[in-house]
Amino acid sequence: MSECLLETRAVTKSFDGGRIQALRGVDLQVRAGEFVAISGASGSGKSTLLQLLGGLDAPTTGDVLFQGASLSPPFDLDAYRSQRVGFVFQAFYLLATLRVLENVQIPMFETSLSARQREDKAAALLHEMGLDERLRQYPNELSAGERQRVAIARSLANDPEILLADEPTGNLDSENSARIMAILADIQARRSMTLIVVTHDEDIARGAQRNIRIRDGRIWSQ
Amino acid sequence: MGIAAFVALVGFAKSFEAEWLKLYESAGTDLAVVEKTFLNTSVDGSVGGKLRALPQVASAVPMIMNLMDLTPEVNALVYGMPADSYELDPLTILQGRRFRDGEPELMLGEILAENLGRKAGDSLNIQGAAYRVVGVFRGGSALEAGAAIMPLRQLQQLADLGNKVTAFHVRLHPALAGQSEQEHIQQARAAIEAALPGLKAVPARDRAHNNQVVALARSTAWGTSLIALLIGALGIANTMAMSVFERTREIGVLRALGWRRWRVMQLILLEAAVLGFVGGGLGLAGGWGALRVLALIPATANIGSISISWLHASEALLIAVLIGIMAGFLPAWRGARLSPVEALRSE
Repeated sequence: MSECLLETRAVTKSFDGGRIQALRGVDLQVRAGEFVAISGASGSGKSTLLQLLGGLDAPTTGDVLFQGASLSPPFDLDAYRSQRVGFVFQAFYLLATLRVLENVQIPMFETSLSARQREDKAAALLHEMGLDERLRQYPNELSAGERQRVAIARSLANDPEILLADEPTGNLDSENSARIMAILADIQARRSMTLIVVTHDEDIARGAQRNIRIRDGRIWSQ
Repeated sequence: MGIAAFVALVGFAKSFEAEWLKLYESAGTDLAVVEKTFLNTSVDGSVGGKLRALPQVASAVPMIMNLMDLTPEVNALVYGMPADSYELDPLTILQGRRFRDGEPELMLGEILAENLGRKAGDSLNIQGAAYRVVGVFRGGSALEAGAAIMPLRQLQQLADLGNKVTAFHVRLHPALAGQSEQEHIQQARAAIEAALPGLKAVPARDRAHNNQVVALARSTAWGTSLIALLIGALGIANTMAMSVFERTREIGVLRALGWRRWRVMQLILLEAAVLGFVGGGLGLAGGWGALRVLALIPATANIGSISISWLHASEALLIAVLIGIMAGFLPAWRGARLSPVEALRSE
């Protein structure tokens, strides 16, 4: 739990031809195995920062590095997103036309696993999430908490080193929020993963090992 | 619709071609001797003697094939041939008798007789000349059922052809021991073409495939089908573009989870191919239905059978799948190029 796994160097991100400045020079280091919360008000730039760390988007200026290597070209971002990072989104983003078991297998299509191995691994992950009874159901047949647990299982499909969660409890009631955060913390501890959670909930932020506060596109405290 | 048109029209043209082949095979014709330039009805009737003198030739009969308006409503293939032509031998005379050379007589195929409302003993006025229907026959090919056959000389006079004929149909002596059928026909062709410069000897199968009527039917069928297929392709492209647009977020999820562009493309193209295949299946059923309707219409009932060969069905499905893939390519390419974060933001 010592070396720097993810780093941003003077990262800025602007939209709409520079009219909107989402990030204004962010320097951040995240060590391997760390549980970090990124908190701030709505529009502060915390989700944008998470997207840059996950390779979903590129900074306008500055650099994002993973294990010292820049995520800018020729870095293989597809492989990074598939193998090194797992995403959990506020809106779950499960595919409505696929069953729970199939949804969890989506990231595994970029691996050499056979169909049987994919299915077995997805079933094991769903078992870990307490969803053994839901394997054959469709997302719209599940509660919000169950959907988020499916999304967490999916994020672990390729055993990534980093778990990025963007407002993972944003669509959940307090009971389910607590359960989801407990699951994420447990996964981070058991797997020695790096967990970065974006939240506007101060209680969740306080549960992390480090809380990085963002205001107006800048790190305010960490 | 495109596949239905392809199945119906091209299938119809293929049936037409198959019936031509049956026509030759039922008469036992091995070769057709025609002008090299392939001008219709331009072979001089006097070459018959030279043909019959060749050692490979067992019989050589002149014939004329003409599409004529027999009445304002009914047009039909009219054959002219000598009354002793071997090609008349396989016909079953259902009423009356065979025509005689030199007489203004003709025989009608059974479907044509029904369409014209004529039977043996009736008269038929063609282009101002009166002909007596002396017989009604059934042939080995559906094409003969809708045709009329009259003495060669009568048709030459009627069409003002002088001594010209469309072709000489040739039956060969059997192949010598140790000689393959192919070698035998090739040798006979070479001998005929050497003896009769300016003419060519075409195997019956090739003639059935390449004669002008079949070629016209085929090119018309393909031309019409291609237009219908193009319209179908535009329909699939539109459907796929809508599908990609509506599933932008889904594509964003796949890209966010690490799916490479080519895999996203593969998924969309697979969907387009399945769409093409399903459309092709429906088109196949529609085309089969259209062929059934053609089989019920008197004007076309005699031309071809309603069956669709496995080869033709496979061609139709393959074309449908290829069109699906081609039409889906641009939407797939666009979908694959979406930025994950932009795609996830879409509603």
